[in-house]
Amino acid sequence: MSQAEDATEMDERQWEPSILTFCCNWCSYAGADGAGTARMQYPPNARVIRVMCTGRINPLFIVKGFLAGADMVMVLGCHFGDCHYLKGNYTCDMRMSYLKAYLQAIGINPERLYWDQISASEGIKFAETMRNVVAKAKALGPIANEIGAYVHGTRQNRSILGMSAFDACANGEGENGSTTQEIAEDIW
Amino acid sequence: MYYGRATDKLVQEQGECGGVITAVLIAAVEQKLVDGALVIKRGESIYDGAPYFATTKEEITEAAGSLHCAPTLSAKLIKNDFNGARDLRIAVTCKPCDARAIIELSKRNQIDLDNVYMIGVNCGGTMLPGPAREMIRQFFDIDPEDVVKEEIDKGKLIIITKDGQHKELSIDDLEAEGYGRRTNCQRCEYNIPRMADLACGNWGVIGDDAGKVTFVEVRTEKGQKLLDTAIAARAITLKDAPPQGIALREKLDGIMVKMARKAMATQFAQFDGDHKFERLFAQFDKCDGCRECIDVCPICSCVECFTKQEFVVPKDTVPPDPMFHLTRLMHVSPSCVNCGQCENVCPKKIPLATITHMVQSSVQGTLGYVPGQSTADAIPLSKIAEVKA
Repeated sequence: MSQAEDATEMDERQWEPSILTFCCNWCSYAGADGAGTARMQYPPNARVIRVMCTGRINPLFIVKGFLAGADMVMVLGCHFGDCHYLKGNYTCDMRMSYLKAYLQAIGINPERLYWDQISASEGIKFAETMRNVVAKAKALGPIANEIGAYVHGTRQNRSILGMSAFDACANGEGENGSTTQEIAEDIW
Repeated sequence: MYYGRATDKLVQEQGECGGVITAVLIAAVEQKLVDGALVIKRGESIYDGAPYFATTKEEITEAAGSLHCAPTLSAKLIKNDFNGARDLRIAVTCKPCDARAIIELSKRNQIDLDNVYMIGVNCGGTMLPGPAREMIRQFFDIDPEDVVKEEIDKGKLIIITKDGQHKELSIDDLEAEGYGRRTNCQRCEYNIPRMADLACGNWGVIGDDAGKVTFVEVRTEKGQKLLDTAIAARAITLKDAPPQGIALREKLDGIMVKMARKAMATQFAQFDGDHKFERLFAQFDKCDGCRECIDVCPICSCVECFTKQEFVVPKDTVPPDPMFHLTRLMHVSPSCVNCGQCENVCPKKIPLATITHMVQSSVQGTLGYVPGQSTADAIPLSKIAEVKA
């Protein structure tokens, strides 16, 4: 049974979205800390990855996040003008707008990518954003609805066996002492 | 904009329409404006053409004339085999996609554009040698090896056989049957190489001159230099093009662009609708991971390919991890020049160019970047817009 079927058959109350969150070390991560120390309540769906700057985030990290099963990806960085490295968040903003168009083009809902700016003092905004995003993720449903069996790389590799037979061919003999030609015939 | 004609009788005969390109190349080589000319030379038959670096008059004359069944790309060749034209000056005949690819590579510091003289030729599309043979056997009912000349003109494919027979068929009809031009050529909106130094072709030649002269448009200073050299060497004669001719050329271009947009809509439709991701990967899963598409792509020029990193694409799985194709799409599609090489070399016949072009058409609005037009516009995502409202 594929992941997609699994996910849809699951009771909606059981399914909890997982949200991959990239936080900038200098602002949003401290903001999240602030929300924690002030004991604000927010849903626990985020898996936070701290990066030194949102400008370090390769858009492909986010694509890979979706393939690894994240239902939404959140990127939180500094406000414009506040970047510790001067221009990192401008770079990120540029990449995120491209990435949204790209996600649309490959058939992933661009709404699944959320990019916002939260400063170190905005613990309240962090908690609020988290609640909003989780609500949005629940409305969007599991990522498996869109990318099907490609989540977690669960899809069958076509010819792993064939590949190992190829290796055997390279060594001049296969399993059970079969000849190169026999192996080749098996593969094709 | 001029009508041009070669003065040399032999060049006139060997060349396609007046032989201007051949004459300009010969003049440029003989007057030492360039060290050599990168041309496409005919091999065994009309289905066989290979790039050739010609340095003498005889060699260039030998390569005169057009080949529509040899879809090569010279851009990556200049980068790989001529060290990006850093140590020698090259004149190169270009289809619009060649010219765009050369410009894209020069923006990536892979080709020194100052040393490359691009002589563009109008292109209404090219055909793959294999399917072309099959098509000629099936629709014209003659042995493909008997064909000595082919020409695409006014929406028709015209062939001339050994015994002097002329036959023609509408390209539209052929394409409806799945033959005809390569699919990327059907979608191509760039038929006049306005990004090259000289834009030549037979469109816009009217009246008695039809078939005897070449329409020449000078696009850059380098183009002017090429023409001046040829005139100084008395290799070509020029006269001003009549306004009706110029208008006709524009009109033809307009028709071709409209046809291209229509082809885009129909070809992209196969991936539209629900489960687009899975539809795309139904194609990508045919992949064996031979990386041939990366080798030929004129945009792929990274020294260390991101897809070679173990954490992105784990090694030795077939088909390769989805990240392989997603990375390629993300890196290439903003700058794709739609040359179709990836699709042509793919041993599994994955419609790579179609998918890349489709992604490009949807991200283009956001990026506001049209690849291969001029060296002035920066590569997408390479320049930070500092002011944000």
